[in-house]
Amino acid sequence: MKRRDFVKNVALASASLPFVSNGFGMQAIGDKLFNFSTGAEDRVLVMIRLNGGNDGLNTVVPIDQFANLMIHRSEIIVPQNQLLPVTPTVGFHPVMQGMKNLFDQGKLGVVQNVGYPDQNRSHFRSMDIWTTGSTDIDETRGWLGRYFDSYNPNYPDGYPNASYPDPFAISMGSEVTATCQGIAANFSHAVSNPNNSVNLFEGSFVNDGSYYGNHVEFVATIIEQTNSFGQVIHAAAQAGSNLSTMYDPSNDLATQLKYVAQMISGGLKTKVYVLSLGGFDTHDNQADALDLNAGLHRGLLQKVSDAIAAFQNDLQLLGLENRVVGMTFSEFGRQIASNASLGTDHGDAAPLFLFGTCIQTGIIGPNPVIPSAIPDQAGVPMQIDFRDVYASILRDWFQVPSNEVQQLFGHTVQYYSLAGWCNVGIEEQTLEQGGILVYPNPTPSACKIKVHLAEGRTSISLRDIHGATVKEIFDLSMGAGIHTIDCDLDGLSSGTYFVVVRNHGKTTVEKVVKTR
Amino acid sequence: MSLIPYLGPWTRAQAAHLLRRTLFGPTHQQISYFSGISMNDAVNQLLAVTPVSPPLAYDAGETVVAQGQPWVSALYPANPVSNQLCEMARVKSLSAWLMRNMNYETANIGQKMFFFWHNHFGVSFSSDARAAYTYFELIRSNGLGNIKQLVKDVTLDPNMLIFLNGNTNSEAHPNENYSRELLELFTIGKGEQIAPGDYSNYTELDVASGAKILSGYIVQGIRSSTVSAASATYFNALHDSSTKTLSYHFNNATVPNAGAQEYSNYIDIIFQQPQVAYYLCKKLYRFFVNYDITNDVEVNILPEMAQTMIANNYDVLPVLQELFTSQHFYDNAYLGSIVRSPLETVFSMLNSTETQLNVNLTTDYNVYFNMFFACGNMGLDYLNPASVAGWEAFYLSPAFSRLWVNSTTIKFRFDISSGLNVYGIPINGYTLKIDPIPFLNNLSIPSSADAVIDDICELFIAKPVDAAMHNSLVNVLTNNLPTFEWTLQYNDYLANPNTPAFVDPVRQRVNLVLDRIFKMPQYQMF
Repeated sequence: MKRRDFVKNVALASASLPFVSNGFGMQAIGDKLFNFSTGAEDRVLVMIRLNGGNDGLNTVVPIDQFANLMIHRSEIIVPQNQLLPVTPTVGFHPVMQGMKNLFDQGKLGVVQNVGYPDQNRSHFRSMDIWTTGSTDIDETRGWLGRYFDSYNPNYPDGYPNASYPDPFAISMGSEVTATCQGIAANFSHAVSNPNNSVNLFEGSFVNDGSYYGNHVEFVATIIEQTNSFGQVIHAAAQAGSNLSTMYDPSNDLATQLKYVAQMISGGLKTKVYVLSLGGFDTHDNQADALDLNAGLHRGLLQKVSDAIAAFQNDLQLLGLENRVVGMTFSEFGRQIASNASLGTDHGDAAPLFLFGTCIQTGIIGPNPVIPSAIPDQAGVPMQIDFRDVYASILRDWFQVPSNEVQQLFGHTVQYYSLAGWCNVGIEEQTLEQGGILVYPNPTPSACKIKVHLAEGRTSISLRDIHGATVKEIFDLSMGAGIHTIDCDLDGLSSGTYFVVVRNHGKTTVEKVVKTR
Repeated sequence: MSLIPYLGPWTRAQAAHLLRRTLFGPTHQQISYFSGISMNDAVNQLLAVTPVSPPLAYDAGETVVAQGQPWVSALYPANPVSNQLCEMARVKSLSAWLMRNMNYETANIGQKMFFFWHNHFGVSFSSDARAAYTYFELIRSNGLGNIKQLVKDVTLDPNMLIFLNGNTNSEAHPNENYSRELLELFTIGKGEQIAPGDYSNYTELDVASGAKILSGYIVQGIRSSTVSAASATYFNALHDSSTKTLSYHFNNATVPNAGAQEYSNYIDIIFQQPQVAYYLCKKLYRFFVNYDITNDVEVNILPEMAQTMIANNYDVLPVLQELFTSQHFYDNAYLGSIVRSPLETVFSMLNSTETQLNVNLTTDYNVYFNMFFACGNMGLDYLNPASVAGWEAFYLSPAFSRLWVNSTTIKFRFDISSGLNVYGIPINGYTLKIDPIPFLNNLSIPSSADAVIDDICELFIAKPVDAAMHNSLVNVLTNNLPTFEWTLQYNDYLANPNTPAFVDPVRQRVNLVLDRIFKMPQYQMF
């Protein structure tokens, strides 16, 4: 069932409950708080490609390495006192106030030192590796394309249809994205402006099996899809709206993200949106000689930071925050040492951003270590494989079973806890006495139980669907008020469980789903 | 099958295929002419590239030379604001000129070879329209010449030195940007990464050594008010004078200091590797024949092309001469095997209908400048290749040229057809629209609806059309009347060539046929 949720736009039937909670409208709480409670089919991933190789060391600056960075890149490095510290050891580029605010609000995560083994410093090969999610030179399908292919082997024949009325993925602009390249076609639909309506002439054709005939069929399919997807996209744009006033119309990335928010709010069921911003190949004039806080890179980071901040603000106002997670990616970081052109050459690993309310926030992974002496051409060593970031998002955000995730990748997948629970709207939620919240839910490993107790003896246990207790979590005398208790689900098989709270003679029950 | 000569019949079908691949949009008369001479003569004529006149000043921002005069070796204004305005005017002129060259192409491969090399070197516009023009002329006028020399000339071209930072590559601070792309994209090509930093044909050591070898040049005269051209100057003090070592892929060759000549010695070493010829021939093959490198092509075709290239010391012309006269090139499998780029889409619509801009200088350039933007909307900004690797449609597997067509760009393609044939495209007071009357009159039998449709399909559809498609197009032409009605209509027009009541219906019907053809999936290939 689950594996189809991601690709098939149908609502999950709600599971029947073996026992009834007393006193509380579980349904009401669920509806109010868990926008994603119907499962992965409502969830959206937004990917922003930073094309050219973003200089991570000028984006997320390891403050504890600043002295050695000064040795290698004093010509371009932003003065330490101008950085925006987000932790005692990490500072953002000064222009990234928008993303710093998100960080402070618990809506931004930084995954440090992301790359892949044996870094290839060619833009083209490296971007191929990032978009295919594979270091195999013969792999031509994108990582998402492989996933879509596995359930839609005949695509694009017969698509769209009643079950799949909307594009699987949307690529903003005039190019489709290589991440969604499948065997027979690309699963992404290029959209430059969803507000434009489309009605193209559809010609007839015969595919004679030649190169020409196959191209003819390909173009005919594009035309048909442009019409049919165009209608649903246009309808979603008409139904949707934007509420944020933070979008800067001169920022093209912001405009694209604004369209994305509009389409999501209009009910489009597309799962993946891919956007692109070019110009990160900063071999020269990355910084301005007279003002190291100025230059090409500052302008690029400003676009990214402002656009993401506006988008997140919009999602919050639209009530969509818990349905959308975002990430950035770039083909490589840049070398530690600057060159003589006020720029940097192709390097290795770099940080990657996650944004949203349902992601792991904060700084994930240690700062890169910058030695005082480095070999020529040294880059930042990779610590986290980007394919594991993809895999973790597939498993935890889209709830793809881990055995299927593994099949999509050529290496042995290691999961990180990066997405899948939501941080906002739950922590802040005030509970009436007797109220209970369990989050993240569903969860692969652990959850938190937030309860508003009356003073007295309190026990919390975990039961399976047959009512058998599988775990005693807690049995103590508690003071009145709201408490948050950790609940470890490791060792339990996947499935539905119930958190049972007995407090002051009353019993409260909440469902929790453990995913694989 | 190897690259044996084509010995089959030489008819309009073969000539049309050759012309579609070597021109942006052949005319009916061109197909007649080239099918009327021998294949060898046809190929030789198409491989005789003719000069192109330089772009002319037309925009008010140009304050140095008079309107209608070339600005390519003129000074820039000293005042920074005027300098900037002048540059904008020149960039507009240059962009328009690129379009005009294709619309006014003479019957030779010059414009297609320019496209090939522009894509190959991937240089985006930098900061001086004169330097951009000089670079364009370098790759255009040497398009069929010696590649080794072309790579050497491009290496020191000011436009390239700026684009890939050769101008700031010095001994103290090597900049690897050009050095890497010289190997990866311009000459030997990147193979699989077989060890850390080893890309089958070269290693990171070669990239680092190459940066040292190529160090020492700076660019002067950019947008200068005192010198008439940007230039590259060698400074010994900026050059790394150490002896550089290359990897085992180049037999661990050492490159001793040779000052300003060192880059040339290095490029000679690179070109000693036969892989260079193989890499370049594969790109030529993909551009002119087909994207799909089958086992047969890999084993039989490409090695022969590479052999010819090496035997001719890296001259392009003999390689294409052999390819365009080969049985392989005329194999029916390759008819329409490439999806049109925006350039082949737009300029086939114009050139094959004999539509050229000839109103006045300002109007013509304004219209061409708008065409430049239209191509950009369809995914091809002709001043700025998508990246230094060129446009993805030429290299990204498995979709290749299919990448030109998606839901966004197909709408633009259709819109342009509607504009050119139905609504007219208003540009600064002028309305651009195809007038198909002269075109129609040049077809084989304009009074025959069937013959008109046959001729039009021959121009725009790469493979023979079936009866159903033929008939549907005839019905568009005749407005669903019997075909003799078209004959009557056309003859009425001939008898009254200046009476709108007789001219307009004929014009309108042909425009509608063209609009239908341009919006068919079958038109999108060539």
